[in-house]
Amino acid sequence: MPKELYLVKVGMSMTEGMVSEWFVQDGGQVKKGEMVYALETEKVNLDVDSDYTGTVKHLVEVGVTLEPGDVVGYIFEAGEDIPDTLPGSPAAASEAEPPVRESAAVTEPVIAQVAAPSAVVSGDGHIKSSPAARRLAKELGVDYAQVAGTGPGGRIVEADIQAASQSGAAVSKAPAVIATGPEPKASPLAKRLASERGIDLRSVQGTGPGGRIVQSDIENAAITSSGAVAVSGPRAGERVPVKGMRKTIASRMHQSLQESAQLTMDMEVNMDDVVKMRSSLVEEWANEGVKPTYTDIVMKAVAKALLTHPMMNSQFLGSEIALMPEINVGMAVALPEGLVVPVVRNVDQLPIKELARETSRLAIAAREGTLGLDDYAGGTFTVTALGMYGVDSFTPIINQPQTGIMGVNRIFDGVEWNGEKPVKTKKMNLSLTWDHRAVDGAPAAEYLVEVRNLLQSPYRLLV
Amino acid sequence: MSEHNVDVLVIGGGPGGYTAAIRAAQLGLSVGLAERAELGGVCLNWGCIPTKSLLHTADVMREAMTASELGLEISKPKFNLKKVVKRSRDVAAQLSGGISHLMRKNKITVFVGDAMFQDKNTVVVGNDTIVADNIIVATGARARNLPHIQADGDRVWDARSAMTPTFMPKELLIIGAGAIGVEFASFYNTLGAKVTLVEVMDQILPAEDAEIADLAKQSFIKQGMEVLTGTGVDEVKVTGKTLTALIGGKSRQFDAAILSVGVSGNIEDLGLEALGVEVDRGFISVDEYQQTSVDGVYAIGDVAGVPCLAHKASHEGIIAVEGIVGKMPHPLNKERIPGCTFSHPQIASIGLSEEQAGERGEIKVGRFPLLANGKAVAVNDTEGLVKTIFDASTGALLGAHMIGPGVTEMIQGFAIAIGLETTEAELMETIFPHPTLSEAMHESVLSAFGRTIHF
Repeated sequence: MPKELYLVKVGMSMTEGMVSEWFVQDGGQVKKGEMVYALETEKVNLDVDSDYTGTVKHLVEVGVTLEPGDVVGYIFEAGEDIPDTLPGSPAAASEAEPPVRESAAVTEPVIAQVAAPSAVVSGDGHIKSSPAARRLAKELGVDYAQVAGTGPGGRIVEADIQAASQSGAAVSKAPAVIATGPEPKASPLAKRLASERGIDLRSVQGTGPGGRIVQSDIENAAITSSGAVAVSGPRAGERVPVKGMRKTIASRMHQSLQESAQLTMDMEVNMDDVVKMRSSLVEEWANEGVKPTYTDIVMKAVAKALLTHPMMNSQFLGSEIALMPEINVGMAVALPEGLVVPVVRNVDQLPIKELARETSRLAIAAREGTLGLDDYAGGTFTVTALGMYGVDSFTPIINQPQTGIMGVNRIFDGVEWNGEKPVKTKKMNLSLTWDHRAVDGAPAAEYLVEVRNLLQSPYRLLV
Repeated sequence: MSEHNVDVLVIGGGPGGYTAAIRAAQLGLSVGLAERAELGGVCLNWGCIPTKSLLHTADVMREAMTASELGLEISKPKFNLKKVVKRSRDVAAQLSGGISHLMRKNKITVFVGDAMFQDKNTVVVGNDTIVADNIIVATGARARNLPHIQADGDRVWDARSAMTPTFMPKELLIIGAGAIGVEFASFYNTLGAKVTLVEVMDQILPAEDAEIADLAKQSFIKQGMEVLTGTGVDEVKVTGKTLTALIGGKSRQFDAAILSVGVSGNIEDLGLEALGVEVDRGFISVDEYQQTSVDGVYAIGDVAGVPCLAHKASHEGIIAVEGIVGKMPHPLNKERIPGCTFSHPQIASIGLSEEQAGERGEIKVGRFPLLANGKAVAVNDTEGLVKTIFDASTGALLGAHMIGPGVTEMIQGFAIAIGLETTEAELMETIFPHPTLSEAMHESVLSAFGRTIHF
């Protein structure tokens, strides 16, 4: 009996998804543990690996919307007859309980990952090949992405290109999908580490002699990206397909601006006490490994102020405005390929310590691509921070159908006047975007004042 | 009293200082160099170079003594100590003269005398006041004494006395078995002295891989030395021509002793304290670009801390100067500094020892004995081992340790490999010429991955 290949379920609330890419061609071979197809849902893209070794037969095309548990293909093990017409339809799988795979069991996200050429040893879209081989490939019109390398570690060497050219096997028909830009100079060790950790060398800044990429550059790159991102950085002249996360962000943001009447106001906050409080909390909780961020504290203030300004925690539904029963604050997390907004629930009731634990968990999960769809659901307000980039003011876009989003800016050395005397004071701007359809300027300003007051007496946030 | 203005003043004309001065001149800076003694510093005048002359004498003598094994009839060689020492001094003088020439060629003004900081941009040397935007302290280090044992130049020698002996001791005590002590041990042992080498640490050559150090110890013992590790010299007393030492509680008599227990930085009498330059345990503290705690004041070489090696000093000199002109040099990676000991057998190494590497993670260790190397057999010198250490997960070459003939000339191969961050794959793919001792390097790499051919 062939093994069924299901559309995996990531997160309990996933209702539909599609195969966005087959990594193994119809009739191609897969080994247990190898990636077989890419799953795309509204928010999450994941590589799915095979539990079996054998011949893959596709049942569905790329881009067909399915329900989790639907059969997308079959794997025929060695010795099994492969029929001309495949058994059944997606419905045929309903007899057996579809295995539900949680996101943790699935490999890293492949949002916007480009098609990996099948014959090439590369975990990162980078093809191992010698400079001489690439030059020859260009001269002979050989698409070296199609050539199997015979050099050390599967590296493509000149002889491979010559052989391919003579056999006519890999003469390029169309430009390769991926940008096979010049291989950056990198030490062999750096190349190996990059390959193992799925880092695209072209996205790494080399600091060795002559800009050569060395071991420490890869290690630094791995730290900044948590090693989870296998995305080729777009290069000038390239066209990046709008799909997956990019597509979702594009339509959501555009929709938000089109459908609501949003505007932004800024307010300066004296952060002296927050800075003091945070540093004492950091010290106090160091043993427990909890380190509250400024954004955590702002989130808490935002949530507490929403208790007394419920209109800011609402959804404008056309004929009525729904005041939300819970205060669930989304936090925007920037990823190399876009951004995600996981949600912290009931922030008004959550002590700062628990809040810090939760935001830290969500941020790590976001970067590692292990957020479940549940982690995204139920947001009623959003906090987004650009302060770490030195930003002092911006106009965040509301995450529809919410009514407000708070932008957190840089903390800077400002001045308070003590009589005629200037006093150095830690300051920060808050940038509040709200939907004028639901809330007018005066009440929105009152809300912002409340957040400011809480931050200026931050110990009220601890009770 | 004359005043001079320069872009860079270097204090100290050793391998760190003169290299820094030349590099600064190459980059178009006006450069002054202050030196109180000979250009070339300890390395060229009282260290690396003259001892290599002495050790070469010893090597040739050893070859002559074993020549009958090669079918040569040579009568037992005799040495003329005066001539041996004179040649060593002549070599130093010749090379120091070469440095003077390089200073003139690069239009570097040399100020002779002791340097003293007036402020962070002003240094007085004799009658000259030099005002410089940047000052590089390259004053080196000097042999350390012990609290209870001081070199006196008579029977208790420091390195300088040990390389200009006026007599050949019959019984020689060497206190401290670092590279310097071991080299003198090898020299004097070959020339016929009965050498007792005492080291307070548990192994001789404490900076080396333990296995290599142990092989060296076995070889020295075979050559007739007495080697005592984990042993201190408690007392040294000189009466007339006899030196009595208390070693591990036992009283022993010698004709002379060499004190080689490390060096301390020359940080005194420069005015560094008044300037507020931070020092730590006898050495100037610097950042990765050799900048001290005082803006515009740099320190390089021995005075800037261990390891006290000429090639490290030169490299730091380049870093300091390129940093001054904003070239963003690459900070020195202290794990990539090769070290050489020119004893018989020679020892050369780079990177982590097996023990250090093992503490960091899974490793693969390759070993290849020179006994299995054709060239070593042909030249009648098979005592040695090439040991390589790789990171088991990444294939990074973490360390290479060699003992045997020619290894000090071969270690650069591994230095390049580590510097270029090659993995075992590139090293295995490299073709080493046959028949050479360097094939043992290749075989050692193969051995780490279970692929050695000749062993």
